Amino acid sequence: MEKRKSILIDIKKCIGCQSCEQTCQQVHGFPVEHQAHLSETALTFVDQKGEKFVRRMCLHCEDPACASACLVGALKKSALGPVTYDANKCMGCRYCMIACPQGVPKYQWTKLAPLMKKCDMCYERQVAGGQPACVEACPVQASIFGDREVLLHEAWERIRSDSSYVPRIYGTEEFGGTDVFYISDVAFEDLGFVKPVNGSQPLPTLSAAALGESPTVVLVGGSMLAALYWISQRKKDVALAELRETEADEKRG
Amino acid sequence: MTIEKNFKIVTFWRVISAAIFLAGGYAAYLRFLKGWQASTNLTDLQPWGLWVGFGTLCGVGLSAGGFAIAAAVYLLGMERYRPLLRPAIVLSFLGYSTVCTGMLYELGLPWRIWHPMIYWNGHSVLFDVSLCVMCYTSVLLLEFAPFAIEKLPYPKFRAWALHWHHKVLIALVLAGVLLSSMHQSYLGGLFLIAKGKVYPLWYSPYLTTLFYLSAIPAGIAMLTIVLYLCVRSLNVKLEFSLLEEMSRVMGMLLAVYAIFRMLDLSKGGGIHYLFVRRIETAYFWLEIALLVIIPLFLLSQSRVRNNPQALYWTCAVVVMGFMANRLNVSITAIDAMTGANYVPKWPEFALTMAVLTGAAIVFRLSVIYLDILPKKEEPKPLRWVNVTTPAEA
Repeated sequence: MEKRKSILIDIKKCIGCQSCEQTCQQVHGFPVEHQAHLSETALTFVDQKGEKFVRRMCLHCEDPACASACLVGALKKSALGPVTYDANKCMGCRYCMIACPQGVPKYQWTKLAPLMKKCDMCYERQVAGGQPACVEACPVQASIFGDREVLLHEAWERIRSDSSYVPRIYGTEEFGGTDVFYISDVAFEDLGFVKPVNGSQPLPTLSAAALGESPTVVLVGGSMLAALYWISQRKKDVALAELRETEADEKRG
Repeated sequence: MTIEKNFKIVTFWRVISAAIFLAGGYAAYLRFLKGWQASTNLTDLQPWGLWVGFGTLCGVGLSAGGFAIAAAVYLLGMERYRPLLRPAIVLSFLGYSTVCTGMLYELGLPWRIWHPMIYWNGHSVLFDVSLCVMCYTSVLLLEFAPFAIEKLPYPKFRAWALHWHHKVLIALVLAGVLLSSMHQSYLGGLFLIAKGKVYPLWYSPYLTTLFYLSAIPAGIAMLTIVLYLCVRSLNVKLEFSLLEEMSRVMGMLLAVYAIFRMLDLSKGGGIHYLFVRRIETAYFWLEIALLVIIPLFLLSQSRVRNNPQALYWTCAVVVMGFMANRLNVSITAIDAMTGANYVPKWPEFALTMAVLTGAAIVFRLSVIYLDILPKKEEPKPLRWVNVTTPAEA
């Protein structure tokens, strides 16, 4: 099995030059312009929070809510790490947008045959042995790309060797773990990071709990209904037989 | 053949219907040729809106009467409800038809509506919902089919089809009850994964149970409304005591729902938000008042239950409360968390209304031309008394 790839974003290092978002827009053929939020033409953007710059993008969860929600399986977690999107399967139900806790999936509301747009961590470039365009464009290595284990190790090294870092990696536990993770010298809560409501549990566990009951419901419910049907039929048959007997008795009597 | 008295082409309701269809047609033009932004106020923060919240969630929920009555008559042996069976099935069938029609404009790529049949994702609640709705709509079509088949002028085919239908009917009903129970619950289950994007007053790990428990009384209320209107405006008869009896069952089901909802709110985090000074609190209490408090009070009064018009309005309150609940879960609760500030655009209303009006007209025609409800014996209008129609000759 191939090793899982990840991106480490170091908020302390980011200088806010926006090279990542411009490159992203170039490789996707989108108009190159800074936007203040993720959109269908800005799959990553640099979010200014006070004096800090936070690059926002899809976090590529280990157990993604969007992929669990997608009824046709157009969204998938690949073995390599990226959460990919098969535009040929998508039917435009937009459930992924409801499911994603970060509001990452964006819709082409302006088009007549709209598709969902989100970062796929340059999956095709990765398959060809390259790295995501945004990482390549970063002039100060505020984003680095590599094997997940190696990057996690690197992140802890940086935190350990520099006491100005918050002693925590955003993405090791959040949403059950993500393949894009952040380290920062400012508290994540002050930088607009989403606090996971489900603790370190992936969100799909919430719907799995409900879906897991369905075989039981079908089996138990089905047999109960069949039993009720049998009882009500039996009651009718008995009543009918009794009626016939009384009729026969009356004739004889 | 019955001949209508006072035959008029232009009537009040026909003008209204025509206006709705005209608006709906223009809305469809906007949706399909001008796009989403011309026809909806949907955004990335509120991607579902009225079409899903009202068209799908309310459409499916208010069509729950069909499976409830079918289960009562066929599986539980409650023979006295048999006169309600046919109208309930027609109502549900048409309800689900509106939901399926709605998919054609609420999906981004409606020509791929068949995709869930071949691309499966068993982890998706929406996949289960779509499969159940597809299967159950087919079941409803099959349950509805004999009402049309028995009117066909081909005796041999008729006898053959009805014979086979009779043989598989119980299996259909049983499958229908299971499918309904599943997808009525799973419609609530859709929002489980969106924890954190659903305002705490409406989020619960038991959203599935809550949706199921509320759908059955709401389906009964909808059926009562429709039956009342049929008796009032069409030439049919129905024993009112049936509706009165059914309203007691509805009251009990609503009470069960109310208790479950209360327990759920007190166990989950919702209870801390009951009196917070926010607009959501008002929407919540409006919903609770309409769905639970007012109907339970009214249904406890025997003079309300025994008065057709009062019962009709009580059921209307239940249906409104039900709609408030579904819209709150799907729109208010999401808006509160994402700050979408969504207000539907008029074409969203117009398209929904057009589809519902279409269903209402088909229902009316079914009652008039098929044997859905027993017809009243009507004296022939005097003017036409000497005309012999070909059917009688």
